[in-house]
Amino acid sequence: MHNYIAVVFDDAHKAYEGLHALWLLDGAGEITVHGAAVIHRDSLGAIQVDTKETHPVLGTAAGVGIGALLGALAGPAGAAVGAAGAAAIGAATGGVVGATVDLSREDTRYQALDESRFVLGLGQSAVIADVSEDWTSPIDTRMGKLGGVVYRRAKSDLEDDAWFNDYIPSSYLYPYEYIPSAYPL
Amino acid sequence: MECGYEANPIHVEKEIMANPAPSAARTAAETNVKDALGHVRTAAQELHSAISDAVAKRGGATKADLEVFGQKAKAVAESAKNSMGGQSDAAKKHIKDAVTQLEATQQHVADGLKTSGQAFQTSMRQVLADARASVQNISEAVAAARTAASSKTK
Repeated sequence: MHNYIAVVFDDAHKAYEGLHALWLLDGAGEITVHGAAVIHRDSLGAIQVDTKETHPVLGTAAGVGIGALLGALAGPAGAAVGAAGAAAIGAATGGVVGATVDLSREDTRYQALDESRFVLGLGQSAVIADVSEDWTSPIDTRMGKLGGVVYRRAKSDLEDDAWFNDYIPSSYLYPYEYIPSAYPL
Repeated sequence: MECGYEANPIHVEKEIMANPAPSAARTAAETNVKDALGHVRTAAQELHSAISDAVAKRGGATKADLEVFGQKAKAVAESAKNSMGGQSDAAKKHIKDAVTQLEATQQHVADGLKTSGQAFQTSMRQVLADARASVQNISEAVAAARTAASSKTK
């Protein structure tokens, strides 16, 4: 089954351990990872995306798509506000994300942040990934041992959602393990 | 961790011979086919990583970068075609799509070599998008191959 997942951890280093574990599961043939990225919510509520240091273009795309994905994982209400909330999302090492969606309504921004908080709390980090898995237990078991909480939605569910379809995020998730130098394992 | 594999079909063949089957339940032929696809995936990942780094670097990619990417895209496409034998229909479809995208990558490389300035950087972004799409399809092919192998052993 082809799914999008978010695995939430209490800190960034645990999230990178989770990312590494995800790619190890891929290497063992237990799952197939098509792409993954790590995001953080700081103590003020802003979400940041770890990207390659010199990759602001990717950071912008990632901001919009990850906002949409987080909203979708938060639940049906979150899907509608996830992309709008992307304005508050920055690339941690790539600079501030450009405002590529309509952010004129302040209440929408606050609502988006509020909705995605159901998935990612203040100070938490998450691995988001596009994966194929025949069973959910390999990811659930491994991430559980690392202290991660797994959220999962079928890719087909999101693709059937006409609203979300504009923000299918596969194109910006790293299709290989990328760990910034700030997070040595 | 960045991928460090060269997209060379001959290298792929040598690697396949050097890696014995991980499971006794799989035939040697099946394993070689799956390993070949795995190596194609690694090569495509490396190509995408190199292109994204070149696009992002200060001053952008150079024409010398672009020439190298064109050669690598061609090598990965050849390896992908060679890995198709013995795969499931689902995996074959993804590999074919990946080959089409790698050919588009080569075409955008050729276009980029004829341009300069903003048009050149636009071509580079198209090359990056094509390469990302090809990695996605090869990865989907790997998933399809794993699912097929898994259902055989049940």
